[in-house]
Amino acid sequence: MHIVYMQYMCIFIVFTLPTMHFNIHHVNIKYFNITEEAHMQNTNLDSILESRRSQPHQLIEVLQDIQEQHGYISEETMATVSEELGVPLMDVYSVASFYKSFSLKPRGKNVITICTGTACHVRGAKLIVNQANAQLDVAPGETTDDGQFTIEHVNCVGACALAPVVTENGSYHHHMDSGKLRKLIKSLESKDTEENSND
Amino acid sequence: MTQQVTLNIDGALIRAAKGTSVLDAALDFGICIPHLCHVSNIEDIGSCRLCIVENIVNGRSKITTSCTLLVQDDMMILSNTDKIRRLRHNIAELLVSEAPNSRAMQDIALRCGVEETRYSFRNNDCILCGRCVRACTGEFGVKPLGFVGRGKDRRVEAPFNLRSKLCNECGRCIDLCPMVMPACDGPMETGKERLCGNCESKLSDTDLTLGYCVGCYFGEGIQCQRSPINV
Amino acid sequence: MTKINTVNDLENLRNKILEDREKFRATLVICGGTGCQASRAGGVIDEIKKELDNHGLNESVCLRTTGCHGFCEQGPLIVIEPDNLFYCHVTPDDVHEIITKTILNNEIVERLLYTDPVSGNLIKTESEIPFYKAQDRQILTQNRQVDPCSIEDYIAIGGYTALGKTLFEMSPESVVQEIMDSELRGRGGGGFPTGLKWAECREAPGDEKYVICNADEGDPGAYMDRCVLEGNPHLVLEGMLIGAWAIGASQGHIYVRNEYPLAVDNIRVAVQQARESGLLGDGILGSKFSFDVEISRGGGAFVCGESTALMASLEGKVGEPKPKDVHTVIDGLWHKPTTLNNVETWANVPAIMKNGSSAFAAKGSKGSKGTKILALTGCIKNTGLVEVEMGTPIKNIVFDIGGGANNEKPVKAVQTGGPSGGCLPVEKFDLPVDFDELYDAGSMIGSGGMVVMDEETCMVDVAKYFLTFLQDESCGKCVPCRIGVSRMLEIVTDITEGRGKLEQINLLEELGDTLSHTALCGLGKTAANPVLSTLRYFREEYEIHIEEKKCPAGVCQELITYAIDPESCTFCGLCKKACPHNAITGEKKQAHEIDLGLCIKCGICRSECKFESIIIN
Repeated sequence: MHIVYMQYMCIFIVFTLPTMHFNIHHVNIKYFNITEEAHMQNTNLDSILESRRSQPHQLIEVLQDIQEQHGYISEETMATVSEELGVPLMDVYSVASFYKSFSLKPRGKNVITICTGTACHVRGAKLIVNQANAQLDVAPGETTDDGQFTIEHVNCVGACALAPVVTENGSYHHHMDSGKLRKLIKSLESKDTEENSND
Repeated sequence: MTQQVTLNIDGALIRAAKGTSVLDAALDFGICIPHLCHVSNIEDIGSCRLCIVENIVNGRSKITTSCTLLVQDDMMILSNTDKIRRLRHNIAELLVSEAPNSRAMQDIALRCGVEETRYSFRNNDCILCGRCVRACTGEFGVKPLGFVGRGKDRRVEAPFNLRSKLCNECGRCIDLCPMVMPACDGPMETGKERLCGNCESKLSDTDLTLGYCVGCYFGEGIQCQRSPINV
Repeated sequence: MTKINTVNDLENLRNKILEDREKFRATLVICGGTGCQASRAGGVIDEIKKELDNHGLNESVCLRTTGCHGFCEQGPLIVIEPDNLFYCHVTPDDVHEIITKTILNNEIVERLLYTDPVSGNLIKTESEIPFYKAQDRQILTQNRQVDPCSIEDYIAIGGYTALGKTLFEMSPESVVQEIMDSELRGRGGGGFPTGLKWAECREAPGDEKYVICNADEGDPGAYMDRCVLEGNPHLVLEGMLIGAWAIGASQGHIYVRNEYPLAVDNIRVAVQQARESGLLGDGILGSKFSFDVEISRGGGAFVCGESTALMASLEGKVGEPKPKDVHTVIDGLWHKPTTLNNVETWANVPAIMKNGSSAFAAKGSKGSKGTKILALTGCIKNTGLVEVEMGTPIKNIVFDIGGGANNEKPVKAVQTGGPSGGCLPVEKFDLPVDFDELYDAGSMIGSGGMVVMDEETCMVDVAKYFLTFLQDESCGKCVPCRIGVSRMLEIVTDITEGRGKLEQINLLEELGDTLSHTALCGLGKTAANPVLSTLRYFREEYEIHIEEKKCPAGVCQELITYAIDPESCTFCGLCKKACPHNAITGEKKQAHEIDLGLCIKCGICRSECKFESIIIN
């Protein structure tokens, strides 16, 4: 009885193994409309996935690269990563939603990150956060409706001696307070309107 | 021929196969250590912390979950000391305050000695025990259910709401969910944080299929054998 | 890159580098760490390169861009060797003078010298500055001596000779013994005896073993590991090489926080250079030892600093800790024996092998040997990274090195150990920096963060801050941490908003005790420490919040009101213009007033007012 069962299992596996790839691919094609933007992103994606295919443990590194290049991780991208690395789609989604580095929604043009570490907190980071929320009318982690600003928190960038610290598009601003942030946001706003009017 | 070991739980000498957890060994013997996230034959993760016991090693007591602790020869386990009972009481109090309208949570709370809670009631549909996630096996290679988010945002979801497409509708998740059974109609209101004590049933697999639906979204689109509640 | 195939090659290369450098009459060392980069050191570096070019000094003056020196608030910093002349707050406009006056004419530019805030004197050299003088910079001195992207700098100061000695003059067992004899304890917060960890891992059955460097420094307010990894990555690599050989591993992992981009870049360069010179790979220095490392970036999760969560993250999974009934030295990464140590722990290893365990153990206190790097920040004059001998009393660090309070408000407390640690009041400042003594007092050294707080810091707010942090960072798997921390936060928030009840203090203590015994991992187990230690030493503050519904430090927004002092108000109108809610009214030549109904206490008016006329009740 057992031997027959084993044989059946072998045959079952032999026939379903090739279709496993098809199953996940099935999900990819059937449930997502691949847009043109996604096509462009896919070519970048190829270079990110190169030499990492079928290596599930590279998932976080791959997602980091995608986040860096595209600014966020879309559902289509997650489906492709799932297929190429051999990780169940559920696990890709779990990992992408667990780690704060990854954004599942597109981010604003200017990402303002306010450090809320202990040293910054003790020197008044909370008031800076309040200022950002009030001035731009968004909650932390959210993007303004016009897509210009995203406000993020980070728990320590490691520049504690210069607290309070705010980073914006890669630049560090130190010894900040609510007034200085107000001015910084205003200057970024006018820079954007300038650029738009010059188009 | 699996190796057998002998260990001491609460004074009883118990034989168990190597590789068994202390919780399984105790339950087999008849020592009822309270538990929530443990399900027979499914991997234990030690997330609810109700099954904690004292493991006496070299005269020192280490508190650990019995579902993740594997039996060893000459192990000394205490599952019902004053300290353990107090800790279990506090954990059960936290659990029932999250979902006071769940029969399973009320059962656990009563069994752990909770009569009044010192926290305000919240009204969650899901207690995040993880039974459904661990029991779920969808189509080959694809998992329909999993934990998403982190910390207080942790929740059980299907990726991008593809649940109905990825799920093979085996119903295991609903069978094992401790929240599917609502409590009696006893008072569970803010300001009256007290358990009525009328629910007498024990928390066991067979008792869960009682035909009531709490309208959890997992039932959506699936031939769930429960009748909907009349709102 | 010169290939280094034997210990002799290493020695010859070192001599050659030193010989080549004899032609330099001076070395301009500029700090290029993250802190100074925030202060625009990049511009200064560019200007220096231009000036050296213009004056044809490239063959006689060496420019070295280093990692963090630790004195971040004084940046951009320049130290000119060989006299170690110290210039601070350097701007690109100052560079011309530095080159023409100091380099070419040996004249000092006085306005760039450091002014001691306590005595008011100008100080010329780095070693005379009180901030540096009171330290014992065993590891941090090297940050001034090496450019992190130059393996030659590291070799020039004797780098990798400890590795050579280990591979050819000692056995793996004797290396483990040496570390045990040194009594080195883990610098990441656990304080576990490193030698014991290595011994257990060495004994564990299995051919495949791993070493991991934990650079996921998540404690807010701590940046020691960033500094060491960013500034001296080869030191960490050498430590890992020695450890790997001792326990029998051939593969290592370095897990760096993604929030430290410069550290990630620098360690990548260092690994590349080490591979090219043959110090990573097969047959290192001509021995039979092979070893290589992989660098992974964290995803932004404090919990991944916990060893089992870190290993899960390396395996590509969510960073959820696992129960540690079997230690990770036996069942770790990919279920293989794994030795995980913190950056600073690895950084201490080469010196122990080079100078011997007794030299290391000669410093420090009975239970804590060696030195510790601390991140001294908060409400004091001199903030930055300091390295002190273990056993140094806290008051020496806060007052001698830190220079005391940075405004007229006196120092009230010091918070050590990050979210797992606690707050100690001024009365306890005689306590030494020691693993066990601080633990008994209700705090801990932790990874080394030390935040100084003054009278304008509300201790209940500090407890709320840490609970908010932990609630954010909890993985959410186990009930006590996920629900317990959230309930503690609820209670403390009630207290800061005037709804607290006295019996809730007992509940906080009981809940804290429950967490410490039942949570799954270290994060949950120590989550209650900030609350418990502030309750232990600052209970009156909690009681005032509850009974009088007041916040003595003037922080908790629901319990304070802003007002303009009519005596000092100069009617300048700046506050009125700046207020985003139009809550300030007042005509010219009239003292202005704040409408309490509209005021949301955002603090903008206070930061605009140059006369400190806005007070908090």
